[in-house]
Amino acid sequence: MFISLLQILTSELPKITGYIYPNEYELHWSIMIVVYPYLTGLVAGAFILASLERVFNVKVLQPVYRLSLLSALAFLLIAPLPLVLHLGHPERALEMFLTPHTKSAMAMFGFVYAWYLLAVLLLEIWFDYRKDIVTWSREKTGPLKYFYTALTLGATDLSEKALAFDDKIGRTITIIGIPSAFLLHGYVGFIFGSVKANPWWSSVLMPIVFLFSAIVSGIALMLLVYMVTTMFRWKAMNMLCLNKLGEFLFYAMLVDFSLELLDFTQRLYESEESIAILSQMITNRLFVSLIISQILLGTLVPMTAIAMARFGKLPNELRRMLYFISALLVQVGIFSTRWNVVIGGQLFSKSLRGLTVYKMQLFGLEGLFMTIALLVLPLIILYVLTRLFPPWDPNEKRRPTAPPAS
Amino acid sequence: MRYRGVPQQILPIVLIFAVIIAVFVTGRILFVPESFGELGHYRARSIDENAAHDISYAGYQVCYDCHDDVADEKAQSNHRSLSCEVCHGPAADHAEAPDEVLPEIPRSRDFCTLCHGYNAARPTGFPQIIPDQHNPGKPCLRCHEPHTPEPPHTPEKCSACHREIANVKAVSHHASLECTRCHEVPPEHLSAPRSARPKKPSTREFCGECHARGADSPREIPRIDLAEHGQRYMCWECHYPHSPEAGK
Repeated sequence: MFISLLQILTSELPKITGYIYPNEYELHWSIMIVVYPYLTGLVAGAFILASLERVFNVKVLQPVYRLSLLSALAFLLIAPLPLVLHLGHPERALEMFLTPHTKSAMAMFGFVYAWYLLAVLLLEIWFDYRKDIVTWSREKTGPLKYFYTALTLGATDLSEKALAFDDKIGRTITIIGIPSAFLLHGYVGFIFGSVKANPWWSSVLMPIVFLFSAIVSGIALMLLVYMVTTMFRWKAMNMLCLNKLGEFLFYAMLVDFSLELLDFTQRLYESEESIAILSQMITNRLFVSLIISQILLGTLVPMTAIAMARFGKLPNELRRMLYFISALLVQVGIFSTRWNVVIGGQLFSKSLRGLTVYKMQLFGLEGLFMTIALLVLPLIILYVLTRLFPPWDPNEKRRPTAPPAS
Repeated sequence: MRYRGVPQQILPIVLIFAVIIAVFVTGRILFVPESFGELGHYRARSIDENAAHDISYAGYQVCYDCHDDVADEKAQSNHRSLSCEVCHGPAADHAEAPDEVLPEIPRSRDFCTLCHGYNAARPTGFPQIIPDQHNPGKPCLRCHEPHTPEPPHTPEKCSACHREIANVKAVSHHASLECTRCHEVPPEHLSAPRSARPKKPSTREFCGECHARGADSPREIPRIDLAEHGQRYMCWECHYPHSPEAGK
């Protein structure tokens, strides 16, 4: 066995450039750890978008308010799954609640997650939907009636005073929810940012950069979800809402890109001893995912397209197409951002003298197919949620069935 | 509908949160192991369980009990800091049943080059070879006895140990210079490299022998005014002598 191990090593070593330490050959944080911040980012972004309508009274975003909340919930339910798949032993997952380790940022995630899920998202959705749930519990028949009746939790009071209370408490929860959403995703950046030994991660800007990229990905997600759901329900798209979403997406991307540029410029200017190997990594290993996918396709192209669609004089049809393609590209870009942070941070040696490679599995718990499943699963959950709790405005206009005669 | 002034919808929420907290507290009472936290954030008794695991490595003292002749020989050699099991693999089973389980003996060239193959990052002076150039195809064991791995004859070139420097110098402006043009090498350095070290130039004038204005050296060599150029700095504080860049 000893000899066979050596044979494997001698055939694998040529894939490495320069010198790396033995324990750096295999990347410990796989694509699952890329998916995890991507999902939590979508959650935080979608929630912050919802709060714009609720707290900051951006009424034009009304069509996506409830949809954002449901999307945040659908993605939040799946967010811990990549971690469980990566760590294995799901039976131990709950131990972080039983034996809280207050000095470990990772262990405290359980509480951040529980707080966000139970005290913020579920509560807000419940208070927001309570009136509808009570109505449905009265109107529906069969098992659905029991389902909605159970969800009322016995609170069937629909008096004006009770509904006003729902609204008030919903607003309060959203106000608490904004810092909570910041905490949820800022904390992910915090974990990376506080790894002192890793010059690619260690930066105080990390939580902020993560947060803004979360907002970007969340808004882009809601743009996509809104467009797709409206299209399949054969309803007319609310262009005011779409334009506002595009506008916010553009501003968020502007801030996000500026912050990342600032971070990058500072690193270049500081020119610490790690800069040589990091530059080598960017120009070799991360060229496609960072320069092409994240910066060019994921940021510059969609920013230009959104700016053209939002501020240019274009027909609505073209605008919608530009928004849709841009939002898709933004998703690719943000996923690449997560990839570049997580995988990039492990590609160079701590000796700063060599680079390793990451070979993703196809099958298996941490493979490509599992990643695709994890990204599709929230959308299925979202579909079920929208069937159970329709977030649509009952007064929505139908899409014209035939194009207007020219 | 209100219960003692509290809105109706608050009560079930409070109740649910009370249940969650109760489950949490009960879970802690029921499931947290008794010895948890005694010594740190872990179950103290896990130490005993880990201590009960089978041991794979015997440790070099155990090897010494039977193979003292080899161990004594190795203790005098350049491989003295390597434990036997670094090359021979875990040998606890062999120590238990010496005749039944025999440890591995790595014989391939690939094994030795894991440490001695050329790699720019290895420390200077560490013996390195380029496997394709160094007796290709010939097993290392033919010439080198691993327990006393001194080379069969004194290395003819400095590059045998100083491969990284030799490679850098080979493509530099100083490629044509012999190492001994700048380094005074005591003959003992070849047999005891660490105790008898070569000397390095220590004055600006040494570099000036070729690079000073008016020096008796080929005309194409870059010249400087020793009194003016770089003032009180030593030449090698700015120019790496093994790959000197010509200033503009």
